[in-house]
Amino acid sequence: MMLEQILNSVKLLYPETTLAVTFCLLILTDLISRKRSNGTALIAPLGLFITAYFVVQQISTGANSIFSNMLAVDSFSIYFKFVILVSAIIVVIFSMQFAELTRGKRSVAEYYALLIALTLGLFLMVGSTNLLMMYLSLELSSISSYILAGYTKEADDSSEASLKYIIYGAVSSGMMLYGISILYGLTGAVDIYGINNALMLTEVNAVTLMIAGILIVVGFGYKISAVPFHFWTPDVYEGAPITITAFLSVASKAAGFAMMIRFFKVAFMNPAVGNLAFGSWATFRGFDWNLILAVLSVLTMTIGNLVAVWQNNLKRLLAYSSIAHAGYMLMGIVVLSNEGIAAILIYFVVYLFMNLGAFYIVMIVANKTGSEDINAYKGLGYRAPLLGVAMTIFLLSLTGIPPTAGFVGKLYIFAALINAKWFWLAIVGVLNSVVSLYYYVRILRNMFLRDPDSSVQPFQISVSQIIIVLMLVVPTILLGLYFGPLVEYAQASVTMFGIH
Amino acid sequence: MNLFDIIFYFFAFITLASAGIVVFSRNIIYAAFSLLFTFFGVAGIYVLLNADFIAVAQLLIYVGGILVLLLFGVMLTNKVVSVDIKTGTLQTLPASLLAAMTAGSICGVFYATDWKIVQSVPDVSTTTHRLGEMFLTTYLLPFEVASLILLVALIGAAMIARRGKTIF
Repeated sequence: MMLEQILNSVKLLYPETTLAVTFCLLILTDLISRKRSNGTALIAPLGLFITAYFVVQQISTGANSIFSNMLAVDSFSIYFKFVILVSAIIVVIFSMQFAELTRGKRSVAEYYALLIALTLGLFLMVGSTNLLMMYLSLELSSISSYILAGYTKEADDSSEASLKYIIYGAVSSGMMLYGISILYGLTGAVDIYGINNALMLTEVNAVTLMIAGILIVVGFGYKISAVPFHFWTPDVYEGAPITITAFLSVASKAAGFAMMIRFFKVAFMNPAVGNLAFGSWATFRGFDWNLILAVLSVLTMTIGNLVAVWQNNLKRLLAYSSIAHAGYMLMGIVVLSNEGIAAILIYFVVYLFMNLGAFYIVMIVANKTGSEDINAYKGLGYRAPLLGVAMTIFLLSLTGIPPTAGFVGKLYIFAALINAKWFWLAIVGVLNSVVSLYYYVRILRNMFLRDPDSSVQPFQISVSQIIIVLMLVVPTILLGLYFGPLVEYAQASVTMFGIH
Repeated sequence: MNLFDIIFYFFAFITLASAGIVVFSRNIIYAAFSLLFTFFGVAGIYVLLNADFIAVAQLLIYVGGILVLLLFGVMLTNKVVSVDIKTGTLQTLPASLLAAMTAGSICGVFYATDWKIVQSVPDVSTTTHRLGEMFLTTYLLPFEVASLILLVALIGAAMIARRGKTIF
């Protein structure tokens, strides 16, 4: 009986199993082959593609819960798995061109192995339906990212980034664990369905529940770098290798959001009050979660945007901009409806291309000039027109100006807000977008309106770089013009296991 | 107050007092040694709660393994590294006010809360057997993921320890 259930569960765990096998293979081949070649690294994209194949196969299996309610395989988790996989594949491609990584004749197989382990942790995060599993998958992804953030160990700021990341991570995961223990003490359950059941049947102390919830939100907030849990973000994003920064800013954030949404929607929503079939939910008594989340999102986007205005290092600027984007996406949870969740899902796909694109161009420029300072971009529009134009498109998309994809992402978020009558929050969001325009345009001004110093030569970019840039630019524009299929797929993907 | 309560408060006092020394002691070796008593006190509470396996694991792994390594590390690096490892305190007043307020409100709330109490305690004479069974059935996936976490941490530790300007 139990054995049968486990065997059935294993069948639905193929993507994760593939990642685990890839991780072990990378380490083993690195141990066996003494040659310091990039050859072993090719196992990583291969493993990711096989994983993608298994994830595609899962689409047709419907919503399932596996391993005694530890993990859910449903359209919601599959959607996020795609976001994570695509960004993992893109980041692996970036890494193969990243100069800083191969400097110092270091073996890079470990880097790819840890990247795969991080992907595995994120995969588990998006499906976890048990607090124990949530915590473990969060730790798996966090520990891998601590190490990766400090991977280029010659750089001082890389070690500093890693240390800061560990300290903040340890504190917030400790607080999350404390919250989990309080929640367990109140409800006697660790799986989120059991918690929901217990909250429905018995009257629990609202203040205690609130404390537990806030402590757990600390863990999520750290992962998605929401203010006031964001202090690690700028330093880590600046110090970490840029490929890892790009990955953390997209995939890690996506998984954090997925886990947070699932936790709130399954554990804290009262199925008796809201009309889940029509996509609106209601929280339990004494639980003003949407107001708390609204305050959190306002703080996150405002502080992210205002501080970004002062940044001259592009990595740091994009770090603050990614904090601001987390704030926009948090607005989608505030409305507590499927419409808001669908808007977040749309936003993530859009954000994936435009943010990775912006980081890729920063990486190319850093490879050439060794600098991430905004002054290195002077006259980039003339020295490398393709990069300049591509960067312009990414930045306009990050601002949310039509006809780029960023506009579509923001449009759906604001539409969800207005439908739910959160007018003031929508206004704050729009004002924030205006602020963000200022610092994005600062980069544009440097690229096109400032003459480069006479000493710098125009720089050449290789064919493969052109192809990758186009791979990211085309979706950024295309999704801004033709977004019907994406929207439909996102709206179909809000269904979770156990919620009807 | 029965015997159970007395033993509980005894271990709780040991844990808290030694944890206080860990935090407040300015000498890092004193701090490391008093951590020994913290771990020991926690192990005692585990025994009291019928969690014999966890108590033994706590003694073997934390008291026996990790702490000894920690002490070695502290004593060996104390003289090698020229930087004095000191624990200082900054912003004492606001921090202690905030901590006191948080602790007070949490204690107050916890006293007023109706905790979920299991009415019928299952037979706990053989926890090891049951734990093993659970690890390979209900908690199979977390068990496997935990092993992966340890592997990743191991690789990371090796990588950081190998740290140097020249890597070959």
